[in-house]
Amino acid sequence: MKITEEIKISDNGFVFNSKTGDSFNVNPFGLELLKYIAEDKDFDSIKDEILGKYDVDSLTLEKDFYEFCALLKHHQIVAQGDPMEFK
Amino acid sequence: MSKLAYEKPVISKITAGVPNKFGLPVKQKIISEIDGIPVSELIKDYGSPVFVISEKTVRGTFAEARQAFETRYPKVQFAWSYKTNYLDAVCSIFHSEGSWAEVVSGFEFEKALLLGVNGSNIIFNGPEKSEEDLTLAINHDACIHIDHFDELYLLIETTRKLDKKARVAIRVNLDAGIYPIWDRFGFNYENGEAWNAINRIMLAENLDLIGLHTHIGTYIMASSAYAVAATKLSNLFMATYRKFDHWIKYIDLGGGFASKNTLKGAYMPGAETCPSFDEYAEAISNAIISSEIPHENLPVLFLETGRALIDDAGYLLTTVLANKRSNSGRRTMVIDAGVNLLFTSFWYNLGIYPAKEASDYSEETTIYGPLCMNIDVIREAINFPHVQTGDRLVIERVGAYNMTQWMQFITYRPNVVLIDSEGKTHVIRKKEDIETFKSFESNPKK
Repeated sequence: MKITEEIKISDNGFVFNSKTGDSFNVNPFGLELLKYIAEDKDFDSIKDEILGKYDVDSLTLEKDFYEFCALLKHHQIVAQGDPMEFK
Repeated sequence: MSKLAYEKPVISKITAGVPNKFGLPVKQKIISEIDGIPVSELIKDYGSPVFVISEKTVRGTFAEARQAFETRYPKVQFAWSYKTNYLDAVCSIFHSEGSWAEVVSGFEFEKALLLGVNGSNIIFNGPEKSEEDLTLAINHDACIHIDHFDELYLLIETTRKLDKKARVAIRVNLDAGIYPIWDRFGFNYENGEAWNAINRIMLAENLDLIGLHTHIGTYIMASSAYAVAATKLSNLFMATYRKFDHWIKYIDLGGGFASKNTLKGAYMPGAETCPSFDEYAEAISNAIISSEIPHENLPVLFLETGRALIDDAGYLLTTVLANKRSNSGRRTMVIDAGVNLLFTSFWYNLGIYPAKEASDYSEETTIYGPLCMNIDVIREAINFPHVQTGDRLVIERVGAYNMTQWMQFITYRPNVVLIDSEGKTHVIRKKEDIETFKSFESNPKK
């Protein structure tokens, strides 16, 4: 999962897609996740960092993370990685 | 080191469109307690979902309505509309405040009698009255509001059989500027049908015409319509006196006052736009007092308002079952109370609020009930904060019609709890269980 080239993210949670012209608001925690995703971290390493920092259980985080990812995909903020990455 | 507070990650598209002139609410409203009792405690004790009725609110609202009318008109009598909420405990509160009973079926009539209402303080409305029902009403000296000519002739026949007199009124339908006109009930004013009915009743030896009744519709936002209706009934009242030298005893303006719920499609919230009791009272009282009726012969003004008296007192406490995303990315939520319990969700945008502080971020959400049916939608679009599975929500203004029009469908109907004026809780209708249904059925195959 990669953030597409056209996406610009500001430090205050404003996200702009220069290809489609769409703009988005993201809350502070969503912004933090976006930064991890931009650094190409996978969920397990993101999870370790978040669980150490925030008052949240592992299952809630997992559920919310994947829902957030689905939204990012829906809004074309992230593109699917290598479809054969399971090989 | 303590950990940071967690908040669900949210991303929302910024859409250009017509800006909301009201802006966004500064703070999300929460309802954490009802009459001082925490929502969490009510659910712990009585389950989820659970209907809660506040006696304090019922009595407060009734006092407000009574004051509005009694300070403007000398003779006012309320009659509690059973069909709006006929739980015994609710009816008893209204009767203890002095309300008569307004019933529309033999079943409701029996309920009123069981609650100790004197038969002569029962108004019997509605288009469905069997000979058996009429006999019951005549024997108890109730006020029978005749709906149509067939009923009038059945009543004449029944009084002859019983050799008793019946106290009657006619229901009149009229053009008060509210469309469509509810002309399916009663006798029409404009085409002279109501006048014909009055003439026939005055000629019947066993019928005593004591009232004129109309009910112009439901959720009427224009108080002026009641003034038109009151004027037309006053005209019939005087015409009856002039022709028959007979003073009718009461004029019944029915119900239909709007509650503070917001109708679907309404631009402004109901709480901001619905007329107050004072506005309705002013329109009605002024029309009767300004009519030709001499002051010493003013009729008693009957009111059968239901919705506006009980809606605010009812809450439905519910629990979040799931947060989901539709395939278009839209946020959806499933709660444990569906349209089977919330008949009014078909025409209102019901107010739904979290029971505790929730996320500061909100998102347009569709709220579904738990039924395995596509129609089970409680709110199609509501700007709602992010809540977790298991969080409690409160749906407000559900006191009218939901506890009578609810359906036993797919699941059981829940407990109904009354918080009395002293703040004590009472189950006033028990949650159904499998035994409830076993008692209705018999199975010849077993």
